[in-house]
Amino acid sequence: MKKCDDIRGRLTLYLDNELQGEERATVETHLSECEACAVFFAREMKLLEAVRNSGPLHEASPELRDKVRQILSEGRRAPVAVERRGSSFTWAAGLLVLLLPVLVWYIVRYDPAASGPSSFALKAAETHLSHVRGELPLEIEAPDDPQKVSSWFANKVKFSVQLPNYQESSGQEKLYTLEGARLVAYQNDYAAYVAYRMKDRPISLVITSESVAKPSGGEQILSRGLRFHYNAIDGLKVITWSDRGLTYALVSDLEERGQKSCIVCHQGTKDQDFIEPLKPH
Amino acid sequence: MDTHGTNVGFGQAALEHIDALYGYAMTLTRNSTEAEDLVQETYLRAASAANRPNGDSNLKGWLFVIMRNAWLNQLRHRNSGPRFVDLEPDEQPIDEAQESPHVIYIRKLEREQVREAIESLPDAYREIVVLRDIEGFTYQEIATVLNCPAGTVMSRLGRARGKLRKVLSTWQTKTRIRAV
Repeated sequence: MKKCDDIRGRLTLYLDNELQGEERATVETHLSECEACAVFFAREMKLLEAVRNSGPLHEASPELRDKVRQILSEGRRAPVAVERRGSSFTWAAGLLVLLLPVLVWYIVRYDPAASGPSSFALKAAETHLSHVRGELPLEIEAPDDPQKVSSWFANKVKFSVQLPNYQESSGQEKLYTLEGARLVAYQNDYAAYVAYRMKDRPISLVITSESVAKPSGGEQILSRGLRFHYNAIDGLKVITWSDRGLTYALVSDLEERGQKSCIVCHQGTKDQDFIEPLKPH
Repeated sequence: MDTHGTNVGFGQAALEHIDALYGYAMTLTRNSTEAEDLVQETYLRAASAANRPNGDSNLKGWLFVIMRNAWLNQLRHRNSGPRFVDLEPDEQPIDEAQESPHVIYIRKLEREQVREAIESLPDAYREIVVLRDIEGFTYQEIATVLNCPAGTVMSRLGRARGKLRKVLSTWQTKTRIRAV
């Protein structure tokens, strides 16, 4: 009986091919001699076969496979533009404004990355500086009227700009304000420039078509299927990303505010869940 | 130069493990969107890694280690643990040419029951069953992925299978009663 207990105690190791040589032979000899243990073994084996035959539990989608193939083909040096997903452009536009507080957090945690910024990120930083210096006045001033700004861009740029009133819809405390917008030249075409202000500090959002500019360079963070690129340019912090056929660049010179800045900005909202995956690991 | 010395060679070898990695990501996150992000994050880290493993035998385990570390990093930045959502059932092709419709049907039912039983396990048990019985890692490889002693792997696996056996036998008993 003691022998049976001993053998059954090692049956898991035997079934998992973790026993070798003499130990394995001992178990096999006992199973050939003991009917009770052989029955026990057969039952365990049946369970394991059922479990092992149940796999694979999941398969990667063709879209994911393509994205990974792109990551691997570009190797260690290059970034990857993640395809858009989601159900409406409004969601994507909401993301823009959601990222304003992320920028504050980013300032705290930014770690200079290996690759340089994209030309679009450089352009966004340059545009931000020009606006701050007063060289690029707003063509439309619409304090906290995103609908007015969105309408103003219609027929002026080759893509649809729909700015959401995120703070109002989420019910969070008003921490930043929309000031206005203008057109800026980029790649022989117009890009949309939107000016925000957060605690008296300017924040710029530049939007163009994904066919014109793709985000690249800097530290990359994945969240909800989007890839964000973080760069430091001339003392500015620039986040670029693509979604639903558009490419965005968010620029600010906000200084460090401490690690709790995310919580401060998103107090009373459900955005923590969105913000957390954006943090570099 | 090893087999993964070039991006092309490494990419081809690494891509072979995408289903396994996605399955493990689903085990960890229980959310298809998060799982896809985690898979991309894993490959991005792998592609950027200075020291890649030599030979295909180490590659899969290495990718799993990267994925688990990436997932743990995400968890550390969260206030809450993993979220739980329903998993989409996954139909797998079977070799129907050799089997009668009745056998195919029974096997499909059995496979679905086993999958459901695996999904019903507590996180740690589900993870170790997936690593051993679905992905076929050895105890030592699992110990490396989970960063724990091999003895812990064995004991946890034993408990997980015990739980799995209990769940399945309960379901099968209910099925038999319904059939009567």
